[in-house]
Amino acid sequence: MAAILEIRNLHRHFGGIAAINGLSLTLSENVLQSVIGPNGAGKTTLFNVITGRLHASSGQVFYKGQEITNKPPNEIVRLGISRTFQKSSIFPGHTVFENLRIARQAKLGGSRRIFSSKDRLKQVNEDTRLILERLRLADQAKTIASTLSHGDQRVMEIGIALAGSPRLLLLDEPTAGMSPRETERTAELIRNLAKELTVVLVEHDMEVVMSISDRISVMHQGLLIAEGPPAEIQSNELVREAYLGKEA
Amino acid sequence: MNNMATPKMEKNIAARGYTPWSLLGVLVLIGILFAIPFFVTNRFYLSLVTEILVYGLLAMSLDVLLGYTGLLSFMHAVYMGIGAYTTGLFLIFIDPTASIWVLMLLGVFATAVIALPIGWVQVRTGGFAFALLTIAFGMMLYTVVWKARNITGGDDGLIGIPGLNIGLGSWVLGTTKDPTVIYFVILTIVLACFFLTWRIMRSPFGAVLESIRENEERTSFIGINVRRYKLMGWMLACSLAGVSGVLFTLLKCSVSPSMMDSGAGGSVLMMTLLGGMGTLWGPFVGAGIFIFAQDYISTMTEHWMIFLGFILILLVLFMPKGIAGLNAFSFRKSKR
Repeated sequence: MAAILEIRNLHRHFGGIAAINGLSLTLSENVLQSVIGPNGAGKTTLFNVITGRLHASSGQVFYKGQEITNKPPNEIVRLGISRTFQKSSIFPGHTVFENLRIARQAKLGGSRRIFSSKDRLKQVNEDTRLILERLRLADQAKTIASTLSHGDQRVMEIGIALAGSPRLLLLDEPTAGMSPRETERTAELIRNLAKELTVVLVEHDMEVVMSISDRISVMHQGLLIAEGPPAEIQSNELVREAYLGKEA
Repeated sequence: MNNMATPKMEKNIAARGYTPWSLLGVLVLIGILFAIPFFVTNRFYLSLVTEILVYGLLAMSLDVLLGYTGLLSFMHAVYMGIGAYTTGLFLIFIDPTASIWVLMLLGVFATAVIALPIGWVQVRTGGFAFALLTIAFGMMLYTVVWKARNITGGDDGLIGIPGLNIGLGSWVLGTTKDPTVIYFVILTIVLACFFLTWRIMRSPFGAVLESIRENEERTSFIGINVRRYKLMGWMLACSLAGVSGVLFTLLKCSVSPSMMDSGAGGSVLMMTLLGGMGTLWGPFVGAGIFIFAQDYISTMTEHWMIFLGFILILLVLFMPKGIAGLNAFSFRKSKR
């Protein structure tokens, strides 16, 4: 299997603190890879460096063999890497439809058109409806995003990321704050997405992680300390010590 | 095509204010605007209404930046000043019989040439830093105009700017010194700018600007070069301000540096806030109230700004969305 993402000896310091400390990682296509680790392990920082939100202190990131280290976020998104954020990043004053529509427009083009109505981007509107149906948000298409329930906002943000037709999708704690039912639905959605594209999941809900992941990476103090299928990770001594043991 | 319209689509269209009734309303409003010179026969008041149109255009252009792109400019009047001075200087020193189209092109071109490098720097920031930079660059431009005595006339400004003959081919409407003629000229151009901007704000491009206002970071994380679009929004806002400057000179036949100072910048901002951000017609209402209040209260006291400041405080506290935010007036009800 070809590597979709390769990280070589990545460092990221905040002042004297190393959030990522020489991390290397190779990610295969069409897997659901979870990244777990205690708070402050550097998971979100890793996402931020991959997606261009933060610059790397040193090291390199390759996407499909092309170096993307320190490229601006919008260029990285255009290459096929979309993400969601730990704290939902949506367009709060827009309708749910417009939240997804603008993301689809950004992907398909047409943003330079200044005189035609945005309603005339037929393909964009059609695709937006399909995504809404897939997320089961079609009934709320006209709802203002900020008035959606927390869970629906998080699902909608996944939709915003999906509208960019990514090959690699980074989800930062998608089920955080969700009810058990919403969590279940979202886990199912993520599992389905992983059939079509590569998903990297940062998640604290161990039940979700263990049940849907193909592989799990364990991060601790800016480094990967273990990598493998869920069963293997669960029985790994190092992991127990660093992470699971504390919670059990 | 008609039989393909689903109920869903019709609902969509209605929600966006595209009903035959709203079209009729717009036509009636345009009719009333063109009939105003026949009712307002007092030359002074007609000029005041014309001034409202000019400043309404400026306030609307600021709203493109503030209400649509989410960027605050404290010194937007400066870019009106550039258009105004360009027009005045051209009429005085180069060609007193220039056509209005040449003046418009020149005014917008000069404004754009100056606004482009400034915008290029400013869009590297956002929020507070952006707003501060508009003050810094605005004060610089104001000082240059104020100090370049031998060209701009310094404190005295430009006076005795000749009027233009307006006509089409052999048909002559009259001279811009005639309050009725200049009213029709300015109304036509302002309406054209209004509908152009309205169209642009509903376009895919306008949708990008609104996304930047809603969430700049998310906009870049859907793959949009935010700086580039902020710059385009800035250029659109400044070009429209340039048009308002050209119209200002044609109306007043004089230009003074005080139209570019920080007080003027604050006034435009107040007009936009008063009328309501995020609609294009709100700023015109704001400009109307502001200019009438200025005229009316200043007959009683020269400290009329105190009253205006008081109104603004009430506004910020109780009506943060301005007059356009009152639900009964809101065209954007569906977006509440």
